[in-house]
Amino acid sequence: MKLGRREAIQLGMGAVIGVSMTGCESLEQRFTKPVLPTTPWVPTSMASPEARLLNRIGFGPNPSDLATVRSMGASNYIEQQLNPDGIAEPAILTYRVRSLNDTLSADPGILFDIDDRVLVATLRQATTLRAVYSKKQLFERMVNFWTDHFNIYEGKGEGPQLKVIDDRETIRKHAFGKFRDLLGASARSAAMLGYLDNRINEKRHPNENYAREVMELHTLGVNGGYTQNDVQEVARCLTGWTTQTHWHRAAFSFNPSMHDNGKKTVLGVTIPTGGGISDGEHVLDMLASHPSTAGHISRKLCRFFLGDTSDVLIDRVAAEFRRTDGDIKATLRPILSSPQLMSGPPQFKRPFDYIVSALRAVNADTDGGPGIQTSLEQLGQPLFGWPRPDGFPEKTQPWMGNMLGRWNVALSLASGQISNTHVDLDELVRSGGSSNRSGTEVLSEIILGGDGNSAKSILTAADAMRPVAEQTAILLMSPAFQYR
Amino acid sequence: MTQTSRRGLLALGALAALGWATKPQSALGAISVQQTNVETDETLISIFLRGGADGLSLVAPVGDDDYYRQRPTLALGSPQHSRIGSPTIDLNGYFALHPALAVLHPYFQSNQLALIHACGSGDQTRSHFEAMATMERGLYQDERPAGGWLARHLATSPGNSHSPLRAVAFGGLIPETLRGASDATALESLDQVKLLSPFGPSSMGIEHTLQRMYNSQSTEPALAEAGRESLSVLNKLRGIDTDHYKPANGAKYPTDDFGRGLSLVACLMKSGVGLEAACLDHGSYDTHVAQGASTGYLAALLTSLSTSLDAFIKDLGPVRWSKTTIVVLSEFGRRLAENSGAGTDHGRGGVMMVLGGQGIAGGKVHGQWPGLAANSLDGPGDLRVTTDYRNVLAEVLKHKFDNTRTADIFPGLQYQPVGVAI
Repeated sequence: MKLGRREAIQLGMGAVIGVSMTGCESLEQRFTKPVLPTTPWVPTSMASPEARLLNRIGFGPNPSDLATVRSMGASNYIEQQLNPDGIAEPAILTYRVRSLNDTLSADPGILFDIDDRVLVATLRQATTLRAVYSKKQLFERMVNFWTDHFNIYEGKGEGPQLKVIDDRETIRKHAFGKFRDLLGASARSAAMLGYLDNRINEKRHPNENYAREVMELHTLGVNGGYTQNDVQEVARCLTGWTTQTHWHRAAFSFNPSMHDNGKKTVLGVTIPTGGGISDGEHVLDMLASHPSTAGHISRKLCRFFLGDTSDVLIDRVAAEFRRTDGDIKATLRPILSSPQLMSGPPQFKRPFDYIVSALRAVNADTDGGPGIQTSLEQLGQPLFGWPRPDGFPEKTQPWMGNMLGRWNVALSLASGQISNTHVDLDELVRSGGSSNRSGTEVLSEIILGGDGNSAKSILTAADAMRPVAEQTAILLMSPAFQYR
Repeated sequence: MTQTSRRGLLALGALAALGWATKPQSALGAISVQQTNVETDETLISIFLRGGADGLSLVAPVGDDDYYRQRPTLALGSPQHSRIGSPTIDLNGYFALHPALAVLHPYFQSNQLALIHACGSGDQTRSHFEAMATMERGLYQDERPAGGWLARHLATSPGNSHSPLRAVAFGGLIPETLRGASDATALESLDQVKLLSPFGPSSMGIEHTLQRMYNSQSTEPALAEAGRESLSVLNKLRGIDTDHYKPANGAKYPTDDFGRGLSLVACLMKSGVGLEAACLDHGSYDTHVAQGASTGYLAALLTSLSTSLDAFIKDLGPVRWSKTTIVVLSEFGRRLAENSGAGTDHGRGGVMMVLGGQGIAGGKVHGQWPGLAANSLDGPGDLRVTTDYRNVLAEVLKHKFDNTRTADIFPGLQYQPVGVAI
């Protein structure tokens, strides 16, 4: 789509204004409600492996994905998730993201004319909508993983504009590709060049910021075998990796006059004089293929999908990473085929996981906009808002400091008080019900992943007499729903 | 330590809570009236300057020519080396305070602010995350997993109030410093400490349901603890109307997150809820680019820091301030030589600050100054660490908080007096 700058800006504004126009439902919105499956989606057995699978590889079960997994079987579903190109997205996602994409896919130059707040709000909204509604759940989880791994803070410099580009050209483009390509795209991403200061790294006084983090966080890991001297040498190799100027400042550029062309030694390997831009490529090649990188990425992936796992499994995943030259999909296979995927200990949800899984569980009709984003911010996870380069913490403990925020999200969601977010619980119960199941049972099963026993221990007989919205809130507040 | 017994403290807290429950509108009016009656224990505020604060700018070695040689654009001025912008504030003829910290100078002069230079941990990675983890865990080098030093202090402290608001972190997350403190609470703002009741009267009993769910045997212990803790905090703060919190003594906090965080600490302290420790983050101090000198990026951060601290101390008033200690630390200092981006890279030794209304050996730049000559520097050209930051913390805990279990709080530390707390 070709757009004038002015039109693009108006569209960007429109996207944001649109979401705040409560009660002014467009035709398009009316015909793109979240769909409920026509066949009963409630698991046949009380302990549902389908729900467990969706919790582990995606953002939790929703009625339609439960029905999909049931009809195609777990292994086919995993295989489909690993090859998502043919998966059709639901209309609700296509339509809601389309107007946002007019802004998010704009030319870099145009993005610089759009207000920071509009851009961040639009990107957050699209990210949330995709996590909630996309059928490519595994892909969206990987986007979530790499977004933290190659963290960019929108609050620094032109972060809003540059992160929008980084999101589409680095993270989403390579999330399922080769690690070396992802790393290379990140190294040349104006967002990363700005965020970790390599943009101004030049020969007279090298700036070590990116050189350190690319080894510590992005590839080798902190104990991956590099020294302070390696940090300084890598910084020298990457001198001159910068951005173009003015209107084109979102594009990578190599500036030979900033580059240190002397001899360098990185991780014991000599990089001869006169290499120019190839010095940096050489370093990225070395880092991407280093055994420590295979180990570091594999350990993080295992933790992300399985929680704490054995070194045996991590080694197997790392071996696959090395064997396939860092093929991300191939690296995921041993994780997804591991028995731990279904039997490992549950993982505590981070706020984004919690909110998205709640929206999915109740089949909410949401715009993913300010109502949801405010909650995420209050729970400590504003998207693209983590200032430090290590990404939002994966550990459980930092997120357990206060449960009130989560409980209030559950109460607001179930009572329909999050703006532009609606739930039709009666319809949900009806669609999942069968003659011998109560509404309480149906709710318990979808919200708690089909674990009938924990449902019984959570809702007392008195609770089961409460209106369905209150029961829903209680289940979303329950300890069991805090885990995936 | 105060004379108030733990039981007395709890009773006071309970009374105060009762008063607010019946008079919610004037909650903080009630606090300011009771101000001198509400006895609280000694409170420790730990402030972490995230990103590696440049100690050589906070407390500038203006008596050292190498400082000027290595920092042609970033060095701060002195009588000998004039610079554009506000002059530094002379501390002892050799060191000078950054002009953006000027409002803290009176505390230095009245011996309530102690500065410790060339201070830090043994971390050699110069990685933010390693160095922060090391410091927050109270280690010298990151040789083992451990909980946070403040959590261990609370666990071994004689002044255990068992309040759900005993330890509070401001922000959405619990920092590593408090890791392992099961009674730590993360607060973004006090007005979020409420449970919505969107279902009207029929939602009665939802709190009971939460109690039951989170007390259930089948709930994972850490989460059960977190749930119970949140419910107790809810109870404790019920009826406190933070929207109408009025700082006392004309104190004016900056409107940024840090200023708001410190005003909430003051509010909690005045509310008598048993607050013993609070953690706040400030920054980012990771000034690789365009750090600025007497004005600019770093100066703006330091202005936020110093004016917030000054407002906090004024707001507390002399009685409460006399029972309060503030420690300010950062994971490392920054390299002596400035880089091409008019910034500085990760270094080693930095500055620590200790502020207190009483019992602080202030008015002095403590520590052994290793100098800035090329052969005195560490690694790629960094200020050496001559004072283990843990000695400072251990001394504060020992003298101000009666906690002598140094070896339990800082494993492996051979305590050496620094002389900051008396």
